[in-house]
Amino acid sequence: MTAEHEQALAQVEQLTAAWSDGALLSITRPYSDTLHLVVKKESMRSLADGLFNQLHARFLISVGTDRRPLTSDFAILHVFSLDNENLYVLLESPIPPDDLRIDAITPVVPGADWAEREFQDAIGVRAEGHPDPRRLLLPDDWPEGLHPLRRDFPYNFRPPLTQNTRTKMREAPTGASILPMGPFFPVLEEPAYWRLFVEGETIVGCDTRLFYNHRGIEKLGDSVLTYSEIPFLAERICGICGFIHSTCYCQALEKAAAIEVPRRARYIRTIMLELERIHSHLLWLGIAGHIIGFETVLMQAWRIREPVMWLCEAISGNRKTYGMNTVGGLRRDLPNDLRPEVLKTLADVEREAIALRDAIVGDSVLHARTQGVGVLTAEIVRSVCVVGPPARASGVAIDARINHPYAAYDEIPPRMVTAEEGDTWSRVVVRVGELIESIRLVREALSALPEGPICADIKDTIPPGKAAVSVVEAPRGEAIHFVMTGGDNRPYRWRVRAPTYANLQALPAAVMHGTIADVPITLGSLDPCFSCTERLETIDRRTGAVRTYSKAELKKMSRGKGLTEGGR
Amino acid sequence: MTHWNMNTLLLGFLNVAIAGLLAPLYEGVLRKMRAAIHSRMGPPITQPYWDLLKLLAKEDLRAAGGPAYTVLPALALGSVLLLATLAPMGGAAPLAWAGDMIVVLYVAAMAAVLIMVCGFASGSPYAYVGSSREMMMALSVEPILAISLAVGAFKAKSLALGSMVVYQLTSGPSISMAIAGVAFFLALQAQSGKLPFDVAEADQEIMGGALVEQSGPRLALLRWATWAKQLVLAFLLVEVFFPWPHFGVFLLNLVASCVKALAVLLLVALVDVVNPRLRVDQAMGYFVRVGLSSMSALAFAVIGK
Repeated sequence: MTAEHEQALAQVEQLTAAWSDGALLSITRPYSDTLHLVVKKESMRSLADGLFNQLHARFLISVGTDRRPLTSDFAILHVFSLDNENLYVLLESPIPPDDLRIDAITPVVPGADWAEREFQDAIGVRAEGHPDPRRLLLPDDWPEGLHPLRRDFPYNFRPPLTQNTRTKMREAPTGASILPMGPFFPVLEEPAYWRLFVEGETIVGCDTRLFYNHRGIEKLGDSVLTYSEIPFLAERICGICGFIHSTCYCQALEKAAAIEVPRRARYIRTIMLELERIHSHLLWLGIAGHIIGFETVLMQAWRIREPVMWLCEAISGNRKTYGMNTVGGLRRDLPNDLRPEVLKTLADVEREAIALRDAIVGDSVLHARTQGVGVLTAEIVRSVCVVGPPARASGVAIDARINHPYAAYDEIPPRMVTAEEGDTWSRVVVRVGELIESIRLVREALSALPEGPICADIKDTIPPGKAAVSVVEAPRGEAIHFVMTGGDNRPYRWRVRAPTYANLQALPAAVMHGTIADVPITLGSLDPCFSCTERLETIDRRTGAVRTYSKAELKKMSRGKGLTEGGR
Repeated sequence: MTHWNMNTLLLGFLNVAIAGLLAPLYEGVLRKMRAAIHSRMGPPITQPYWDLLKLLAKEDLRAAGGPAYTVLPALALGSVLLLATLAPMGGAAPLAWAGDMIVVLYVAAMAAVLIMVCGFASGSPYAYVGSSREMMMALSVEPILAISLAVGAFKAKSLALGSMVVYQLTSGPSISMAIAGVAFFLALQAQSGKLPFDVAEADQEIMGGALVEQSGPRLALLRWATWAKQLVLAFLLVEVFFPWPHFGVFLLNLVASCVKALAVLLLVALVDVVNPRLRVDQAMGYFVRVGLSSMSALAFAVIGK
């Protein structure tokens, strides 16, 4: 541990003790990079304020846990990160079951917005003073008072469907009209609903409804699956960066259970993570081209990407969803005789990616569409806690691979690619730079790949009650997994945060005062990855009245003549 | 009916047939080229015909009622076919006696206006945005067509397209007509709804804009109209501004024009495929600059160059 690290720890301990004003219940250091503070809930907001606004810690995620079977209470845990000191600060507060409220930290930590709405929905602890306490992840017809992540809620329980529930959406400001983007829209690969408030072509505001396809993955993790089954589910969280999630989960558990992962496994993880970044960034570049109508970029970027997928298939047996990770290391080795193939593919991809880069960097029309568009200032990035390439493109130099080294990144450090302008073009530049850098990292990792076992031999059972945070720098930004171990060979609580969760919260700021034409590419430049709905909104042009149709109404209309000419 | 009238009628049919029947083939060739640049196989060049047949066979669903709305797509295609009879293709325009360049400009604008009306009437917010974009584009692009043709009119001292062609053939290439031709070409890029100026459709932003509510036979007619329009305008471009080489035989001239029009459209498609979409304000700004530059053609015409 460095002296700086120790100094920072001492400073945090000292300051929090002062801020908490005697409300500090306990302070522990379960791992060298983690400080765990348990405080009374009354002082949560002031502590979060201090950490975020004075120590400039970055907010990562909140975890709500129903601990009634263990300690007869609930717990809210906010996770912060002091990036330069490689330190996680866990701020936890017990919540008595007869008073399920806690002061919201969103007024002082804007980036906690969705995280707090989520624990409200999931375990039913109210975030008092939250500026926007509407539902986030539960469907609109979900009954009040049912919280799916409570321990007494069966994983397979289905509440009865109700009819004619409406999404509580914000109304357009006076003078503005509504342009719905989604839930199904050409540039949204997955359902999400952006209600844009427009004056002519200018955006004057927007409202969002997401989580149409919430899959209850966390619930399965703490009620059905076992420790070693979860990596397979974690890998299916995302169709692009699956390996990132399985790695992140495994790392969190490995930290909690103090499992030493063999060096070869850490190197192979690095190689797979970087291969994922290469194909993800190429995928993104193609989609970004498609969004602004530049189909040639789409076709060429995806053509260049394809050999990377073949390479992944040669290594793991699958183009995607490799099934290679397991707690303690890997299930599958990287055969040494694949080395020439890897190097050849990398050389081809590098040559073609550079050719593509050179073709687009000088394109003046591309500049016209992306420069100065969807600007995120460094202030917004910090306050909304944006991560990944969008943060780095705004001059906020954060990268989990460097700030919280994992896998083999301590031995093969990546060079961070940053830009200052914070616009869509900067995000293009940053991603293309990272793509080239990832190719270098794979080469380095491959040449330094040590021999040895690929999985730790785990003899002891994993001790219960240990909580650990792990981060992995996904192509879209930092993915976070929090695991609290349980006694029945599965986590007591498993919390996942994908980078898009953080980045999408910055979209309203990025599209404000832009035009309709800028929204798709601005959204696209955050490289969003969301998940389906059955709702439709219509606007009566004569009255301007907005009507949201329910599933039943839509069914009726689509089966009858409601939507054909006779129905109007 | 006199022999002369019979001839006019036949030529008229020929122009309509070229514009209507050849347009999907040209579109097919353009798609093939696009695919080649994309590193794709691409569909067979006859695909646009099959697209039209498939769409025409589908159920006719309308987003709004009323007889006017019903006939809009047919009118749009009709206006383009009318434009074909007013345009010289290989020989003089069959209906040249019915109208000069002023009429041509009006008829050329009709299809865009009808598609716009279709959009406004269909009641979708996307169609609404698309139609207003179409209008903004028309307002900035139509004047360029007018200026380009006006240069020809000034040179030929006549508003008739036929006189312009004759003048070009007798007096040979000139700077002013070359500049006007280039301006006309740039306007053609927008008139045919190609990138970087396809803002009015902009699939990824407004889901097809004015066309979002159009499907089946209605969509078929509107698509057909768009393809035919780009072909007729390409003919106008090559006939009025680049009428060389000229042969004594009508059929040879026609073939030459068809080849030249294809070359023009391939160029249009090439620009389309290597460009992303501009925003409507940027596209308008661009055409204001093109418009101002095309004024130089008028200046050259005045000094006799």
